[in-house]
Amino acid sequence: MENPVQTPSRPAQHSYNSRIKGLGQYGIVVAFFVICLILALTTPKFLTLSNLTIVVTQVSINALLAFGVTFVIITGGIDLSIGSTVAVTGVVAASFAHPDTYPVTVPLVVGLLAGLGLGAFNGLIITKSKVPPFIVTLGTMTMGRGLALILSKGRPISNLSDSFNFIGGGNIGGIPTPILILIVLFVICSIVLKKTVLGRYMYAVGGNPQAAEASGIHLNRIKMVVYTLCGGLAALAGILLTSRITTGQPNAGAGFELDAIAAAIIGGTSTSGGTGTMTGTLIGALLIGVISNGLDLLNVTSYYQQVVMGIIIIGAVVLDSLNQNKR
Amino acid sequence: MNRIQETFLRFSFLMAVLLTGCNQSSTGDKAQNATDKKLVIGVTMLSMQNEFIVNVHDEIAKKAEAAGIELITVDAERSALKQIEQVESFIAQKVDVIIMNPCEVEASSPAVTKALAASIPIINVNSETSAKPTAFVGSDDVESGRIAMRFIAEKLGGKGNVLMMHGYMGQAAQIKREQGAREVLKQYPNLKLLAHQTAEWDRAKAMSLMENWIQSYGAEINAVFAQNDEMGLGAVKALTDASLKDKVVVVSIDAIPDALQAVKKGTLDATVFQNAEQQGSKAIETAIKISKKQAYDKETLIPFQLVTKANLSQFLK
Repeated sequence: MENPVQTPSRPAQHSYNSRIKGLGQYGIVVAFFVICLILALTTPKFLTLSNLTIVVTQVSINALLAFGVTFVIITGGIDLSIGSTVAVTGVVAASFAHPDTYPVTVPLVVGLLAGLGLGAFNGLIITKSKVPPFIVTLGTMTMGRGLALILSKGRPISNLSDSFNFIGGGNIGGIPTPILILIVLFVICSIVLKKTVLGRYMYAVGGNPQAAEASGIHLNRIKMVVYTLCGGLAALAGILLTSRITTGQPNAGAGFELDAIAAAIIGGTSTSGGTGTMTGTLIGALLIGVISNGLDLLNVTSYYQQVVMGIIIIGAVVLDSLNQNKR
Repeated sequence: MNRIQETFLRFSFLMAVLLTGCNQSSTGDKAQNATDKKLVIGVTMLSMQNEFIVNVHDEIAKKAEAAGIELITVDAERSALKQIEQVESFIAQKVDVIIMNPCEVEASSPAVTKALAASIPIINVNSETSAKPTAFVGSDDVESGRIAMRFIAEKLGGKGNVLMMHGYMGQAAQIKREQGAREVLKQYPNLKLLAHQTAEWDRAKAMSLMENWIQSYGAEINAVFAQNDEMGLGAVKALTDASLKDKVVVVSIDAIPDALQAVKKGTLDATVFQNAEQQGSKAIETAIKISKKQAYDKETLIPFQLVTKANLSQFLK
């Protein structure tokens, strides 16, 4: 009873197993639509085009971070530094984004380079020192926060150019730019993960490192790429956030890493590595966004919001571990 | 290696004893002719990373230098434990007066008790402790909430729907600013608090919250009170994006440079200014009075000031 895996011969048990497994794979999608349905029934304000547009816009920053961290978790790692990377890249980009100074590409490129740099730093230390990623990225998180404070002298950097503010605050053909950026990056990340050799190697590194190494995959090289990629996506999230609130904030992004990791895990990415999809992560991020939006619409105090979010995260992980026992 | 270290340790210990000895005797000498005795004041500040706190301290330092006072400043880095240790060290150094910018209401209280037990006067600046110090200099956060909400009440003619954005729930500033705002709301029965929610002092969170509120209440919203400027500016951004800013009054607290610029542009209707300079200068003035055994105020409250477009020029530097 305690461990149903050991009795797979019983047909009844078997069908129970496959049913749970099915729920594990599609459970998140079902849960997402159930929650949307509940919200639609309880508040007429939820299921409107303008509200859904706002939800997806709000989700875009967390989703970009979650895409990056999904890569990392699939390889069996973790990255806690992305929230600080958001602050550093935001501050760096904002410093170059004042009106009539540089063309808008400069803050974009410099911000992106800052994020890639921090990611590469993580990758380098993790692969060279064999210190667990949890510890290394915890260090980078603290360091990054300090860097953001130093670079901004502890003050928000405002007065940014209109063209820079367009990145996160404009719209093309009526669709807000953050949504377009989200869609483009979702497609790119999905292709990288599913259709490229790099993606397959990521699964291999996280699923069975020994076997991956034996088959000639350079573990360190893959890890290096993955952490750099994660830093780059965090940089894009940082630029998007800075542009959206039209100011570079040294204390922006605090705690964002946890929301991103939660989105990945709710979406079915296993913390033990080797499994996960971008679609799952996107739905995880949407779920978090929808709940937060819905509870605001229902005027539920944030105390309860946190409790609900916690329950969902634990529920997702429990489902994941049940799933793993079946394999 | 060990021996060298040991010798070094012994030597430095000896030096320390000698130096302290010298120091004490010299203060003794000075005490005899009280007129040219140099006053020593120990200052422990909440966090020298915070712009406002730094401004308070700069004023203390400026006034101290002008008065020829020796100032020993330490940064408690937001740790009440560290702050207590710093005050203990001030007591050991036998400073004349201690100025403390408390980290926490309860946890920093032992510092006050210890200083008073050693009969060293201690002045709390900017925030309070539950233990009563010799004197307090600061501003009453409840008042800032009152000022902000009163502005809204006047702007709306005492009638309309208001939203309130909290800081981190449970922090002293959040509790007091809410208390002040609610006191005023009670006086205006036609002013309705539509919803209130935390945005954790954060501009991005405030913007998302405001967007959700706009979805929820839309044109019903008449005013927003944000408990700090960062959140106020987030609300302004969301309202501007939704082309609603012209119809909604937004007020916040702190008067940070960004907020003053927004008041200048007319996007933020008002902010409330807390006077760092006056808090610093009154603290050091009180310290001097106490040490000279002159009459002093046990409590000096520096008033908050409402900043609108009309009086903005006084605050823009």
